[in-house]
Amino acid sequence: MAERGGGFGRGFGRGRGDRGRGDRRGGRRGPRRDEEEKWVPVTKLGRLVKEGKIRSLEQIYLFSLAVKEHQIVEAMLGPQLKDEVMKIMPVQKQTRAGQRTRFKAFVVVGDGNGHVGLGVKCSKEVATAIRGAIILAKLSVIPVRRGYWGNKIGKPHTVPVKVTGKCGSVTVRMVPAPRGAGIVAARVPKKVLQFAGIEDVFTSSRGSTKTLGNFVKATFECLLKTYGFLTPDLWRETRFSKSPFQEYTDLLAKPAKALILEDVDKEALV
Amino acid sequence: MAQKMGGLSQKEADVQMMLAADVHLGTKNCDFQMERYVYKRRSDGIFIINLGKTWEKLQLAARVIVAIENPQDIIVQSARPYGQRAVLKFAQYTGAHAIAGRHTPGTFTNQMQTSFNEPRLLILTDPRTDHQPIREAALGNIPTIAFCDTDSPMKHVDIGIPANNKGKHSIGCLFWMLARMVLQMRGTILPGHKWDIMVDLFFYREPEEAKEHEDEEAPVAEYTADYTAPALALPGDQWGADIPDAQWGAPEPSAIPAVPALAASDWPGTAVPIAAEGWDTAPAPLPPAAEWNAASMPSIPAAQVPGWDSAQPGWTPEA
Repeated sequence: MAERGGGFGRGFGRGRGDRGRGDRRGGRRGPRRDEEEKWVPVTKLGRLVKEGKIRSLEQIYLFSLAVKEHQIVEAMLGPQLKDEVMKIMPVQKQTRAGQRTRFKAFVVVGDGNGHVGLGVKCSKEVATAIRGAIILAKLSVIPVRRGYWGNKIGKPHTVPVKVTGKCGSVTVRMVPAPRGAGIVAARVPKKVLQFAGIEDVFTSSRGSTKTLGNFVKATFECLLKTYGFLTPDLWRETRFSKSPFQEYTDLLAKPAKALILEDVDKEALV
Repeated sequence: MAQKMGGLSQKEADVQMMLAADVHLGTKNCDFQMERYVYKRRSDGIFIINLGKTWEKLQLAARVIVAIENPQDIIVQSARPYGQRAVLKFAQYTGAHAIAGRHTPGTFTNQMQTSFNEPRLLILTDPRTDHQPIREAALGNIPTIAFCDTDSPMKHVDIGIPANNKGKHSIGCLFWMLARMVLQMRGTILPGHKWDIMVDLFFYREPEEAKEHEDEEAPVAEYTADYTAPALALPGDQWGADIPDAQWGAPEPSAIPAVPALAASDWPGTAVPIAAEGWDTAPAPLPPAAEWNAASMPSIPAAQVPGWDSAQPGWTPEA
């Protein structure tokens, strides 16, 4: 057991980025298609999304609604959402019969246009861990605010302000960069920033960046803060609107089972 | 406010009732956020709550409750026994959803649970003992209303109603008032009239008390049930006015001394349709001892109205 654990560790250590990508991509097969179609929403938000009442993630962010079902995010961003396994880290626990190894998967998900998510999942098998991490990543999708370095020509391409995020001992600092600078960062945060849709940025990091888990979480934290920063163009008073739960309260009042039965009947007819 | 010629304004009458129920008595400690509601500290150390402010906060809370379009989205909760009966009755009369007893952690956050519920509003009797629902509501964007004593923590409580949440009369009185305000604002009850439901219905009954009451009522159950049939069959808003049959008008109120509560209290004036529905759902969660009143006349459908004349002799209480 100990040897196997060691072997895995070395193997994975070497093929961290590339090997992981290739292997895991191939691992997914057909049978999953069935499960994906039959999504029965459990939460109110889920039901609204399934009905199509909520069109964009921004409506969800506006009211700070908790996203508990990953299908919600898939319904909004679906095809543009790409995921990438950053690392599979074997972690071990000591038992009297040797070590108990589990695999921790770090997955970054994003559409390259202002939304990123980070998921971390530990499981006894690599595939399960990855699958779980992807789901968690989708649940944690965050909007990223982009701005300009100088002249406001074209689309926003960089971070609007200098921001910094910290996790553990790792701090990541992002500084706005002029167009054409590209993402000036280490391999790990570069991935995350690419998924976020940031084109140019200068970064600086501190602490034990070797710990990938903390490094990735720190950049994620940093991106989270971009929308938390009050800039003068946000000074205007907000005009409050009805929360989707209030707006669609009649639709939500209908018991979920009734809606499901309706759907089933429709399918049966067709 | 100067007292009017004979009567008191609604607010003054309410405040008098609250004084009688000891709503104004706080505790020996005062939380800094509750200081604004305190009038004075008594010589024996107890803080006195300003009931005028309590009344205004009750109004505010009632407005919020009325603003929720679907009353089923409101959850009223009490872990403590003193508040359980009040909470159930409140839910019955306003159409809310009651949770009496233990709040299973995760009801508002764990979507996998069977009891998963996503309410739009939460009403609690005590922020200290009901701290778990407060925490979960904070995670789920649920506004919270709570009856706060002078020493209650106000963390995550959006509308705190300063009141005594320790005494059973106090809790009952508050919920009764809140229910009445809500019904008045909705237009179900007219503001001038007295609400037919007695406050006593909202008070907590000790198990021995409830048992005694049950023992008294048991032999009289069937007999009184027959009497209640006519009462139920009659649409409420014709109480005093169009009584087609003179026969039941007289005996009904006087000949049932054993069931004063039934005749007077369990009969919301204009709220018949609402109450009927409420009774459909109410009997199940109610503790049997305290609720024989409601249980003895559960889902009596309005269809029985035309037929009661002929059906009366053969009518048996559905229990």
